[in-house]
Amino acid sequence: MDEGIEQHLAAGRHARAFDLVVPAFQDKVFRLAYSILKDRPAAEDAAQETFVRVWKALPGFDGRAALGTWIYAIARNTCLMELRRRRPTVSFDDPDSDEAHRAAAAVATGPAADPERDNLLRLLETLPHNQQEAVRLFYLEDRSYEDVAEQLGMPLGTVKNLLHRARKRLMELARPDEVKAA
Amino acid sequence: MKDNDLPGPCAGYEFEIVELHEGALGPEQTHRVRAHLEGCARCRDWQAQYAALDASLARALPRLELSADFGARLRERLAGIADPTTRRDLRSVAEREHDWMVRDLRRAARRRAIIGGVAGAAIAGTAVALAYTLGPEALAFVRAAQITIGPAVLGTLGGAAMFGALAWSAMRGMLPGVRLPG
Repeated sequence: MDEGIEQHLAAGRHARAFDLVVPAFQDKVFRLAYSILKDRPAAEDAAQETFVRVWKALPGFDGRAALGTWIYAIARNTCLMELRRRRPTVSFDDPDSDEAHRAAAAVATGPAADPERDNLLRLLETLPHNQQEAVRLFYLEDRSYEDVAEQLGMPLGTVKNLLHRARKRLMELARPDEVKAA
Repeated sequence: MKDNDLPGPCAGYEFEIVELHEGALGPEQTHRVRAHLEGCARCRDWQAQYAALDASLARALPRLELSADFGARLRERLAGIADPTTRRDLRSVAEREHDWMVRDLRRAARRRAIIGGVAGAAIAGTAVALAYTLGPEALAFVRAAQITIGPAVLGTLGGAAMFGALAWSAMRGMLPGVRLPG
């Protein structure tokens, strides 16, 4: 944790600590939210909500866990609540539904239309959720296993294993004929 | 089927090929794995597929950055929330004020009860003393007053005094034995 943040927290200067917390964690919180929600506007909203919760709860932060671990746990909970909130209204069939707009926005966050990329993202969607999240976060975080482990609250070995299984599965899915032949 | 037709690398080289790709192997291991790759088409093929998938995922999941106005929007949201460093202080101040108010009200009620009791005892004592002292003379004085002033005037004066006392009590929010609302 940033020493300045630690000192301000220890001295009870929570507002000053928060001023340092936001720039230190905002990008990682946003990318963690994106890896879960797969939608840029929703991920930004979740990041905002996360920091509002951090702001409210910071005076109660007791330092038992690392600050980053605590913030990422709040971010994950915020995203899971958003997913639960969405669930009853999910409708991919309705082109005017919120979910359809989100999906379109998610595809639109990358480079221009690219069938290979779209196909790869579709294959990624077929993986178990924990593997999807690990893969997204790993590439969004410039291939850092340590960052992914910290943000997902998992041991490093678990993250490496998840990623390895996910990429192996993606390779199999990308060449189904060869796998079947084998 | 020939061994080289099987999907995936040779047993024991899978993780090492990944780590070689990520630059995570030491010099000796790097040399050993490279030597193996030179002589194994199956592992070379798997390595090429792995590298292609890695590059595709990196392209499909570029590092995202937050919107430029993220901080401003967050500050706007937080502006409506009390400073967490002072919320507790404000609460304790409010609680202290409430305690003081209750204590003052209790003191005032005790003071009023004591004064009322003393005054009531004094009035009763005076009335009893006057009755004993004046006795028949007092009765003769009232009769003389009735004759001199007239019963109507005496009654009017008594009634006016009574209504004046009631009005004064009502202005203070009290009637004898009754607490007025508001």
